[in-house]
Amino acid sequence: MQKTQIRDNLSLTVKALLLILPLLAVFVSLFFGRYHLSLSEVVLSILRSADVSVASRVTVLQLRLPRAIASAFVGASLAVSGAAFQSVFRNPLVNSGILGVSNGAGFGACIAIVFFGGGVYTYFFSFVFAVAAVLLSYFAGRISRVTTSITMILGGVIVGAFFSALVSIMKYVADPYSQLPSITFWFMGSFASVNYSHFYALIPMGLGMLLVFLSRWKLNVLSMGEREAASLGVDVRRAQIMIIGGATLCTAAAVCISGTIGWVGLVIPHIGRMIIGNSNQKLIPVSISLGAGFMVIMDLLSRTLTGSEIPIGILCALIGTPFFVYLLKKTKGGFTA
Amino acid sequence: MILQIDNLSFSYDKTPLLSGLSLSAEKGEIVCLLGPNGSGKTTLLDCVLGFHRNYTGNISVCGKDILPLSRPELAKLVSYVPQLHTPTFPYTVREIVLMGRTAQSGLLGAPDKEDYEICDSAIVRIGIEEFAERPYTELSGGERKLVMLARALAQQAPLIVLDEPTSSLDFKNELLFLEIITDLVRNDGITVLMATHALQHPLYFESEGIPSEAVMLSRGREVRSGKPGELITPETLLEVYGVRAAVHETLSEEGKTVRTIAVLGSDS
Repeated sequence: MQKTQIRDNLSLTVKALLLILPLLAVFVSLFFGRYHLSLSEVVLSILRSADVSVASRVTVLQLRLPRAIASAFVGASLAVSGAAFQSVFRNPLVNSGILGVSNGAGFGACIAIVFFGGGVYTYFFSFVFAVAAVLLSYFAGRISRVTTSITMILGGVIVGAFFSALVSIMKYVADPYSQLPSITFWFMGSFASVNYSHFYALIPMGLGMLLVFLSRWKLNVLSMGEREAASLGVDVRRAQIMIIGGATLCTAAAVCISGTIGWVGLVIPHIGRMIIGNSNQKLIPVSISLGAGFMVIMDLLSRTLTGSEIPIGILCALIGTPFFVYLLKKTKGGFTA
Repeated sequence: MILQIDNLSFSYDKTPLLSGLSLSAEKGEIVCLLGPNGSGKTTLLDCVLGFHRNYTGNISVCGKDILPLSRPELAKLVSYVPQLHTPTFPYTVREIVLMGRTAQSGLLGAPDKEDYEICDSAIVRIGIEEFAERPYTELSGGERKLVMLARALAQQAPLIVLDEPTSSLDFKNELLFLEIITDLVRNDGITVLMATHALQHPLYFESEGIPSEAVMLSRGREVRSGKPGELITPETLLEVYGVRAAVHETLSEEGKTVRTIAVLGSDS
């Protein structure tokens, strides 16, 4: 029965590739930028050697490395939570922001920028409001006695619209010369200001990814629908809370350090499905790896393509949209046969 | 006794849907639930599956009261083939059948080697190894129903609950499905509780020599039960369904008595 095991688990080669892809992307991103570095300069910087200039060392270790690591975590978080939400809600078209995370975080950021002058408050408030938006969506969806995933998605849409209106109010009252541009740039998403002091946000992301990763078998069963999942022996409510909770920690922390970045949570899981199939057992680790690699490359492009940085949210959507249309064409929108 | 239901009553928004129902099923027996739409068949199945919990009376499976059982505990006793299944992601047939092992495979639901083996033998038992690696979304309705049955079998519960399993199947596929059920009951000692609109089903099982019981519910909440051949008579069909019908006996080539129902008209 050894054959069974090989067929249903990721092979060692694929596992190695999944591990190498994001690491390679991070390593490659250390070379490029305004300040060009050679292989030896990068390697010596990583080794903290004294044989390399201070400027090179600072560029690699203090600027590019933390930025690449943060973008890898954000990409992985958005992709894995997108994959998780798609299965829990039995809907291939939902993404990581489906429960109002982005607008909730956006409103938090607005409050921080308008009332507290931004800075570290932005991270705190955007995280708190992102989590609050998900809780509201969850309970709004659970009010009706018939608990289906549709009512929860509806809850997310409604709560998202509510926070979107609040964001508009904040934009309206914000100072148009200093605060409004900050808000606008926050919504475009960027890793430009990331440094090691933001790394506490990696803890909720790591924890959230772990929760989803551990639940990956139950994700398959949950995607059969609540009734069937229950009859197969899953405590649906408990599993949903664990998975939605994990995915929320991921997205809220991701959004709070990078601003809103669309499409990754929708498109990466689908690329993963095309490569490895639909079972979440394989799809979750693949999404983590692809999301991390993709985001690091996108961030590299965003800071090197032009003289000034292109906000990464714009870049992801520009590349994501045509891909999504292609995907719709290829699958004829028909994941539900 | 595998399934024992005593004096079961259930109301939804104060409308009684079941009142004082009792039935039982031994190992290797088929109980067919009959009755018109709205007579409470699905409600009864939902009680046995633990979806409705605020009933009065008692339901026990293998001697255990099901009310205090956790989801995994109940899933080890009762498996379920749903009437309607809306597919989402194109999982392979094997991935679907493997989901039947969820209750047995610990806290995280990760299957081990034994689970894979049980999954594979359920696929062989139902005879769907041909398309085991195909996406189940590409299968026909009849094939998909067999996949659901294989998944229930992989669950290794002593009681399988079937909710109108043949409602979407054609003439031949319906018979094939009934033959597989007969085989499972006869040779694997599985007990089946099955809601069906086809009055022919209990008569078929009886003519196959399977210990079978028919329970007929009605909108008036009366419960009639008995051997299929004795219960399904022109009189009860007229009373319960309001249909005038005749029941004929045919002797098959193998010497089996097969009862058929000829519909004559409605009473209105």
